[in-house]
Amino acid sequence: MKVVKQMVPLLAAIIILLLLFRIWVPSFLTPENMLNLTQQISVNTILALGMTLVILVGGIDLSVGAMVALVGTTTVYCLTALSGDTQDPFMLLTAIFAGLGVASLFGIFHGIAAAKTAMPPFIITLASMLIARGCALRFNSGLPMPIKDEQTWFLAIGNGRLFDVVPYPVVIMLSLFLLMALLLHRTRFGQHVYALGGNREAALYTGIPTVRVEITVYLLCSLMAGVAGMIHTSQLYSAEPGSGEMFELTAIAAVVVGGTSFTGGRGTMFGTILGAVIIGILDKGLNQAGVHYSLQYIVKGAVILVAVYLDVRRNR
Amino acid sequence: MNKALRFLISSSLLLLFVPLLSGCNDSSAPGTGSDPAQTEGNTAPPGRLFGASFQTLNNPFFVDLGNGLQKELAAHGDELIILDAQFNSLKQKNDLSDLILKDVAGIFVNPVNWEGLKGSLLEAQRKNVPIIIVDAPVKESDEELIVCTVASDNVRAGQLAAEALAKVNPKAKLVVLHLSVNKACIDRVAGFKETLQKYPEMEILDVQEAKGTTEGARPVMRDLIGRYPDLNAVFAINDPNALGVISALDSANKLDDVTIVTVDGSQAGIKAIQAGKLHSTSAQFPKEIGKIAAEKMLAHLNGEPVEKDVKVRVELITAENAEQHLEAD
Repeated sequence: MKVVKQMVPLLAAIIILLLLFRIWVPSFLTPENMLNLTQQISVNTILALGMTLVILVGGIDLSVGAMVALVGTTTVYCLTALSGDTQDPFMLLTAIFAGLGVASLFGIFHGIAAAKTAMPPFIITLASMLIARGCALRFNSGLPMPIKDEQTWFLAIGNGRLFDVVPYPVVIMLSLFLLMALLLHRTRFGQHVYALGGNREAALYTGIPTVRVEITVYLLCSLMAGVAGMIHTSQLYSAEPGSGEMFELTAIAAVVVGGTSFTGGRGTMFGTILGAVIIGILDKGLNQAGVHYSLQYIVKGAVILVAVYLDVRRNR
Repeated sequence: MNKALRFLISSSLLLLFVPLLSGCNDSSAPGTGSDPAQTEGNTAPPGRLFGASFQTLNNPFFVDLGNGLQKELAAHGDELIILDAQFNSLKQKNDLSDLILKDVAGIFVNPVNWEGLKGSLLEAQRKNVPIIIVDAPVKESDEELIVCTVASDNVRAGQLAAEALAKVNPKAKLVVLHLSVNKACIDRVAGFKETLQKYPEMEILDVQEAKGTTEGARPVMRDLIGRYPDLNAVFAINDPNALGVISALDSANKLDDVTIVTVDGSQAGIKAIQAGKLHSTSAQFPKEIGKIAAEKMLAHLNGEPVEKDVKVRVELITAENAEQHLEAD
């Protein structure tokens, strides 16, 4: 019940935004436009789900944007090298696992470094953001790597639709949301995450395996970035070594607008997905209302400030 | 609960604020396929809405291009929404689908990633929204999905730069500052090298990457001065790069010994020519690119055939004609 009550302002904000933009743009609430909205927010939402866990334990992961690029280039490189012009489910899976494998390595490293050393997560992931970006740019001398038209399965990840209606990115996003919500709100691991973010020392003394929890948290965040990277790459019909810049910031924005405390210990997955929806509606609405691009920045900045200010006041 | 209420009020106030600020646009964007039947002069059915998506608007070139588009469309009573993709190909994809779902009559795209536009082009095709690519090409296999490409004649720009250099120094020992991820720059250098073959005594000592920016060119140029003592000419792929070269040569006290040629025609470049620091720049005309792109779009909507590859003129600016180009803008 408490969770539901916390979500009321966010849901209300969403409804108001939808109605406002409906007045402004007559075609705004059409099913097609709304379905397109869910597709547009999928990459950011998936990144934000992982980011929520990391912020809940009092950390941050600045590397997710670069990870999107690195996972994309690794996967497309393997896919092209392994299968050439033909399609083979085994090769496709191998390429996908190679991409997710690279992401896992980074995630595990983040977790160990954050848990075992005194280095701040901000710096650890800032460094690995640069390393991951550099690795991505090693491919194809930094130029986009096209996906061959024959790879219809991989291209379907970002462009196909389930039953010709629901885009696969939306299906993936919702499944991952359910998974992460169950993990955070219905398992012991989830309780440990809150405990760790609430008070690290107390968590340690109560016998919570803090190192293991922290490694899992960063690993999950990097894996989410990996999945987002697959979708992103597929949607663009190419892996782009330079893509994903600033994605970490949009993801963080969704998390904090969704009511997760930046100091850790407080926040929900449901809040995060609503935060991502709010940012998505703003993007789409301002675009379709024909608001000048300079004003779009200002409005988005102001909305983030207002949302977080109200949240901070509410929880003081 | 009253806190929730406060949230509601403040967020709605904030959003009501926006239309006041922008003071724009209640055009209800009448249907796309407005018939080409009326061929009464150039007054096409007015009040249509168009969209444009640029890879960045943090560059005067694209701002000018957008203004060129807007002016020409406004002359026909049409409106234009311009969106900034901030070098982010995902944002560009989302921006494009927003425009397509808003039923705009046509879209102008300057692609962030020229390999990555196919999804958006297919979406536009399904909705019958025509697309014109401006300033940079797309993949050949995607060309059938667009109306046409309107861009500077970049090969010609490179040729002009080479001719200008040959005139002052037919035995030049030169270096090239490149931005090889960019198709426009690849074309410029190709045109430059092509013309160079007519002058066997000119020699390219080295080709280096310099990011297309002033900050990028400066350190690269300093290294080159040290490595090649007999270097006496530079071809930089754009004005910002040339300004970095000038700065590096100036601090090494070598500016008088080296001839610099470049491509762009920005105000900063023209001022450098007037100051005697830059020899020439092959000017592009972004406003004209915008105007021509808009004309082609209107022609296409009127059912007229449009050629696939539209090249916009480039013109050499030297000390002789610098003055008039400075005033022109």
